[in-house]
Amino acid sequence: MVFGQKEMVKDTLFANGDSVVVTATRSERKLSNITVPVTIINAKTIQQNGSLRLTDILREQTGLTLTSGFGAGVQLQGLNPDYTIILINGEPLVGRTAGVLDLNRISLGNVKKIEIVKGPSSSLYGSEAMAGVINIITDASTSIPLQASLRYGTYNTLDANVNNTMASKTVFYQGFYNYYNTDGYSIRPNSNNRVTTPINRVTTSQQFKYNVSDNTTLVFNTRLTDENIKSNITVSNGGVSINSNGNEHNTDINLAGTLNHRFSNTLKTSFRSYLTNYISSQDLLTLSGAPYNDLLNHLFQRVENQTDWTLSKTLSGIFGAGAVWEGVKSSRYDSEKVRKNNTIQYGFTQWEWNPISKLILIGGVRFDQNAQYASAWSPKLSMLYKINPQHKIKLSIGQGFKAPDFRQLYLDFTNAAAGNYSVFGSAEAQKVIGQLNSLGQIGALYSNFYLLKSLQPESSIGIHLSWDCEPNQKTFISVQVFRNDIKNLIQVEQVGSYVSGAQIFSYLNIGRAFTQGVELETKYHINQQWSWSGGYQYIITGDKDQITQINNGTVYTRDANGYSKKLTLSDYLGLPNISKHKAQFKINYLTTNGLFANFRMVYRSRWAVNNINGNDVYDSGDTFAAGYVSLHTSVGKDYNNGISLQLGCDNISNYIDALNLSNLPGRTFFATIKFQKAQKHKV
Amino acid sequence: MKQKLKPFALLLILSSILFSCTKNETNIEAPVTAITVRDLPADTVLGINAVSGMPFSAGKYTFYSLERNSIVPNTDSASTKWDLAFAGTKILTNGGTSGKGLGGAFIYTGLFDGLKTIANDSVFKTDNAPASFAVTFGSGKGWYLYDQLTSLITPLAGRILVIKTATGKYAKLEIINYYKGGVTLPTTATDMEKASKQRYYTFRFAYQSNGTKTF
Repeated sequence: MVFGQKEMVKDTLFANGDSVVVTATRSERKLSNITVPVTIINAKTIQQNGSLRLTDILREQTGLTLTSGFGAGVQLQGLNPDYTIILINGEPLVGRTAGVLDLNRISLGNVKKIEIVKGPSSSLYGSEAMAGVINIITDASTSIPLQASLRYGTYNTLDANVNNTMASKTVFYQGFYNYYNTDGYSIRPNSNNRVTTPINRVTTSQQFKYNVSDNTTLVFNTRLTDENIKSNITVSNGGVSINSNGNEHNTDINLAGTLNHRFSNTLKTSFRSYLTNYISSQDLLTLSGAPYNDLLNHLFQRVENQTDWTLSKTLSGIFGAGAVWEGVKSSRYDSEKVRKNNTIQYGFTQWEWNPISKLILIGGVRFDQNAQYASAWSPKLSMLYKINPQHKIKLSIGQGFKAPDFRQLYLDFTNAAAGNYSVFGSAEAQKVIGQLNSLGQIGALYSNFYLLKSLQPESSIGIHLSWDCEPNQKTFISVQVFRNDIKNLIQVEQVGSYVSGAQIFSYLNIGRAFTQGVELETKYHINQQWSWSGGYQYIITGDKDQITQINNGTVYTRDANGYSKKLTLSDYLGLPNISKHKAQFKINYLTTNGLFANFRMVYRSRWAVNNINGNDVYDSGDTFAAGYVSLHTSVGKDYNNGISLQLGCDNISNYIDALNLSNLPGRTFFATIKFQKAQKHKV
Repeated sequence: MKQKLKPFALLLILSSILFSCTKNETNIEAPVTAITVRDLPADTVLGINAVSGMPFSAGKYTFYSLERNSIVPNTDSASTKWDLAFAGTKILTNGGTSGKGLGGAFIYTGLFDGLKTIANDSVFKTDNAPASFAVTFGSGKGWYLYDQLTSLITPLAGRILVIKTATGKYAKLEIINYYKGGVTLPTTATDMEKASKQRYYTFRFAYQSNGTKTF
């Protein structure tokens, strides 16, 4: 990106205008020329909604659903949080627990926009980009030298931001500081057990840019998040509750350096190096004084080069190659002192061709190889056809993958609190169980024990077809159909048992599943001040092997009398934690004198949470979380002297489901005051 | 026509019963009907230990005769009067290490009505405490599933206990529920409720008194 470049996003009727998208092609492209489904959330929307953390804003996006458990993750088009890569300025975040990256870690204070690409994107981003990509792009504009805000709300939640920039012709600096503190909340009636315990979190990021010459820039980004969470955990097992008290401390460090050079108008290259380290430690004491310590330390380093070459007005390509050194230390592996390592090398290329002005064709492929599991090819083809200025058709088909994570390779965990069962990662399961066997501790080995070998990456093929329509200046409609076919799903399965009968589990590539659905998005401007927007997703999912079993008549459920009956496909619900219907609706009011107000509604239909009738299949006889609507509102005013005030209320109707929606507190209020030093108008 | 048929049919049934009784032929099928037993207590929880938080109970089995469809007093535990004994999720058969009888069992996967005849090559396991039991102990292994998240016990659907009684007769049994009133508690029920209302079996069984393996 050229230093100091000021993006001239026209303030068109639609907030996004024809903004620039980088995530979809790893190069700057106008939104109107993007060939794959993309959602852009800009800073203005984030601010006017009063969103603090990444979770707040993702909750209100079509096709995205928040998950509870191991922090707040995001499910994209029915695929679990494991399958969406989270990037900050194009660099991945690490530190997942059970596949979930807690999105509460990410402050939105200095975010310029969030780009969400739906569909397999491994052809550009490699592992984890199987469902899609969420890229958080921080503000690097020079227009506001100082910005500060303070917000206070229910549960003593305090959020303070300072963002300052300094720029000369050759040097640019931006510093961002965020302080967040909350008492946490309890939404469990008759219980002093909090759902979210007190959190104290500090985030800072710094950006330095140096314009070496007109054609060369150096950029350094640093980011640090440090959080302390007071833990008061109750583990129930067999009707016995054990209370533990203590502290959880998480640190996330990101360092990125980029050298950009433009050889000519048609050829440019960038070298990127990146290091991130996520360290999480949990120190708990049970009430009886027994200590419980858990450590996770994930180090990820990457170097990468990407070269962009424009051959002609109709043909351009990018080439990239890189290497990753990655390692995890965890107290849940055989030794928390030893780092388990993996190295990955990869290369990718992507070509964009517009033979006629109405048509853009993009094809790309990436190859990832590594030391620990099978390598992966990830091709992708996409196209955009502009039928006329009002109608566009997009079609993409791509293959995505998710590499086995360190947990699936190296876990060495025995649960003393619940029957002494063990789970061993697949890379060492045969060795570890073999040793136990030679010590006479193994009672039985199942046939699948002998199938344990290096895991294959989980992979999917996704097809997305969408139609965008702008019949007039006031209306936008988009309809999208999608289907993902996933194979080699890595699942936990029992591979044997101890002499005592306690179970031994490991990970195997056994599952096959699909998700398919429809998404609908509309925006309509009633007049200069008022507009509304709405989104809806309908999704069907299923485990293909379970469907085969149901068709074979070997899956049972119960009828109204409690008698067993054969399960039919009409009773089958597919994958758990998925709502068939999700919708949101927003009314927006905005005047030229800076007054804004909005009212938002998010609906999610019931979802299966628990298989209680013991057939391993989710059906209408299982436990559901009830469908719900949450309502949110915010009103504010931007004054000419740089001050803005905002008041808001989230979850107005106070909808609470302590068991299934720990990420949704009851009704909360907030007030924000924000100051912006006068803007430099230098266009 | 229909109205005239009814008494005629009744007569036919009566005569066939009379006929079979007089001839006293053992290999003619006796009518096997399914009987439902509700809320059979099985070492129910008496309270929760204030110190350990563990529920406690008397630790006594409830002995049951399928032949007579009734509870057998504990004083008869060393007899062949009972066929099954229940305590919590544990079910014993009257044989092997558990009793003097000929009892055993195995778990058949399928439907209660679908099990018309016990296959001749079926193997009845006997209790061999503490290593193994005819009705395997443990979540997901035998007749039930224990959910660690909700602390609820759910009988597995499509699991039929095929039982050899203390006297060597055969029966089939489907467990329907484990909670008082025959309704599994909601996941939101308190721990106290979950403890006090569990260990009440609702099940249906069919007992074949003529010694054959056909129901």
